[in-house]
Amino acid sequence: MSTTLQVTQLEKAYGPQKVLDGVTFDVPKGSIVGLLGPNGAGKSTLIRSIMGIVEPDAGDIRLSGRPWSREAVQGIGYLPEERGLYKDMRVGDQAVYFAQLKGMKKADATAALRLWFDRLEVQGWWDKKVSDISKGMAQKIQFICTVVHRPSLLILDEPLSGFDPINARRIIKEVRTLAEEGTSVLLSTHDMPSVERLCDQVVMLDRGRVVLSGRSEALRESGWDGTQEVLFKGTDMAFTIALGALAHLDTSGPSPVAGIRKAKIRLREGVTASALLSALMQSVDIVEFIKVRPTMESLFIGAVERANTTESTPAS
Amino acid sequence: MNAGLIGAVVLREWRTRVFKRSFLLGTLLLPIVSIGFMVGAVMLTESSEVHNVVLVEDAPGLITLRDAVSGQYVPRCPSCFPERDNLSYHFTREAPADSIWKRQGHTVLVEYDDAVLQNHAGYLVYDKSPGASAKRRIERDLSRAMEHARVLQSTVLDWSEYQRLKMELTLVDKTIEDGQRVNGGGDEVRGTIGFMFSALLLLVLLVYGGVIMRSVVEEKANHVVEVLIAAVRPEALLLGKVLGLGAVALTQLVAWTLLSSMGFIVFQLLYDSGAVGTAASVAAGEVPVDLLTVMGENDVLGHLLNINWPLMAAGSMAFFIGGYLLYGSLFAAVGSSVQSEQEGQGLTIPVTMPLLFGYLAATMAIENPDLPILEWLGWFPLTSPVIMLVRIAGGVAIWEVVLSWVLLMLTARLVLGLAGRIYRFSVLHDGSRSGWKLLVQWVRGHGK
Repeated sequence: MSTTLQVTQLEKAYGPQKVLDGVTFDVPKGSIVGLLGPNGAGKSTLIRSIMGIVEPDAGDIRLSGRPWSREAVQGIGYLPEERGLYKDMRVGDQAVYFAQLKGMKKADATAALRLWFDRLEVQGWWDKKVSDISKGMAQKIQFICTVVHRPSLLILDEPLSGFDPINARRIIKEVRTLAEEGTSVLLSTHDMPSVERLCDQVVMLDRGRVVLSGRSEALRESGWDGTQEVLFKGTDMAFTIALGALAHLDTSGPSPVAGIRKAKIRLREGVTASALLSALMQSVDIVEFIKVRPTMESLFIGAVERANTTESTPAS
Repeated sequence: MNAGLIGAVVLREWRTRVFKRSFLLGTLLLPIVSIGFMVGAVMLTESSEVHNVVLVEDAPGLITLRDAVSGQYVPRCPSCFPERDNLSYHFTREAPADSIWKRQGHTVLVEYDDAVLQNHAGYLVYDKSPGASAKRRIERDLSRAMEHARVLQSTVLDWSEYQRLKMELTLVDKTIEDGQRVNGGGDEVRGTIGFMFSALLLLVLLVYGGVIMRSVVEEKANHVVEVLIAAVRPEALLLGKVLGLGAVALTQLVAWTLLSSMGFIVFQLLYDSGAVGTAASVAAGEVPVDLLTVMGENDVLGHLLNINWPLMAAGSMAFFIGGYLLYGSLFAAVGSSVQSEQEGQGLTIPVTMPLLFGYLAATMAIENPDLPILEWLGWFPLTSPVIMLVRIAGGVAIWEVVLSWVLLMLTARLVLGLAGRIYRFSVLHDGSRSGWKLLVQWVRGHGK
């Protein structure tokens, strides 16, 4: 798979403070990569370096295999976290203006924008002034302005902030469609559920360093600690005896469904899920047996904590 | 820099402002208000003209004689007292008490005695002042009448021969340029013209400098700027903004000029046809006030024609562009470094100081456009836009104009680059601090 964005050993410092410290990651073509990190981790500086707003001190950025250039940046659709529109301009004029700044001709921009306005059902707002539209509507317009020039790379910084759940779902759908059509997406957000729903890969930053990166599924799989959720019919006593030495019982209690109990267990090392399931089935009636993989949030917190621990531990 | 992108920025700035209701209103209102002021001033002047009936008490009998038919005293020199709309004379040898001559309908009494020919003084008695212009006319008329009396008394000449012999010397200025004598003088006229151009330029720079600053502050406040500078280089964006607002300023100036000219022409036509008041100064007996005649008499037209108008026009445009780019960039830099318009007002004072200093220096040019200080300030880019227009009007070598302009443009380019850098840093600034210290830091390329 070809790479749309390749960041290698990127460094940036503001005075004595290092904001980016050897950041390296790729955004493959057509993939959605989540950029995660606590406040002050360096996400904004990283994005601004890619966009040419900030000049990195060292490292390399390549766009579609070519060295970084301002012309190449024209091919990026950028939705910053701090975004806005000119209040005294008409929505349509403003969208055409932003498209022109991205190198589109006026006629082409108008035609493409009309299609996007139809697609996101905002066609009636073309002639309205921005001051007359709602915040959610303005967010949609901003999203359209970001994608109208069919960028090869989309950089979205908190794209769902300000959207109600229905419109958020709409935007997620559009982002996914764009990715399927070949657009690569770098998504910076604190909204973990949207990362889980959208991202093929994640890059986690902390204090300017990449503390965890890889495919989302693989990370969650590798972070799995053997936890299983079991819904069963039977007694807690029979269930605990059946667990024996195969697994730890973390929690147990009634489920929302009458007559069905719910337990959370953790497999002991070397024990397979199928071995445990066979053992349990001999004592209780198993309704569901679910593998509980870690959430992105727990992976994120774990990675940050590990990084902090490593940093605070003196070298031996 | 990508010209297409700058063009798009210029067009946006121009379109969003020129098609605004407030712009159209302002553009229409100024000519209407200025013409209204003019019409009002003329009507006010005319309505305030009081008809003065002057009783001249010619006690020594110097300027009057008794008419054999009517028995009334009449002037010996009737042409010395021309008929005027707002001024008429009656003569007597012995005026009655104040209460009586006033009751007779006179508004002013003039008194003098035998010594008037030696001490050149008399009295003007009134309840309400006849006004400065009426007083001047009375003095002029009586002076001529007494001159007439003296001519008849002390010489063998008659009045018409005396007038023919009387002369006033006029010295015509000649200046030496490249070893040749050419028409000179008219410093005041040329200085005033140059000053008017400078004042207009100053006004435009200050007004539109403020507009640029507000525009930058607004873009920061509504968070559009990060999207913009991701697409366009900060310098290009700033240049587009400055040029766009400059185009707005030019549009407004052109519209004002056209509308005002049309308005004044219409007013002139109505005025001449008598529809709007009557020209008091074109009253019977007085020389018609024709601008060209007056200018010709005072040699004003000659001095105006002495100005190198093609250079003046080209210089005005060139220094408008240079000055506008320089000050526009400075105002943009101020706008970038602050979070609100109010905060920016304080920072604009040091920016406008050189301009105001140049303006003050330009006022000196009305007296003498060739002052050495003006030469020095003409080289200094922060003052050259306002100073050079005065110097061009006063007469200056073309190479000096070109060199001054080149210096101005180079400085403007430099400042535009620095303003672009400040603009870029300001986008990343969290807004917790602002001021000159931060500005200097950004110019040096430091800071988030």
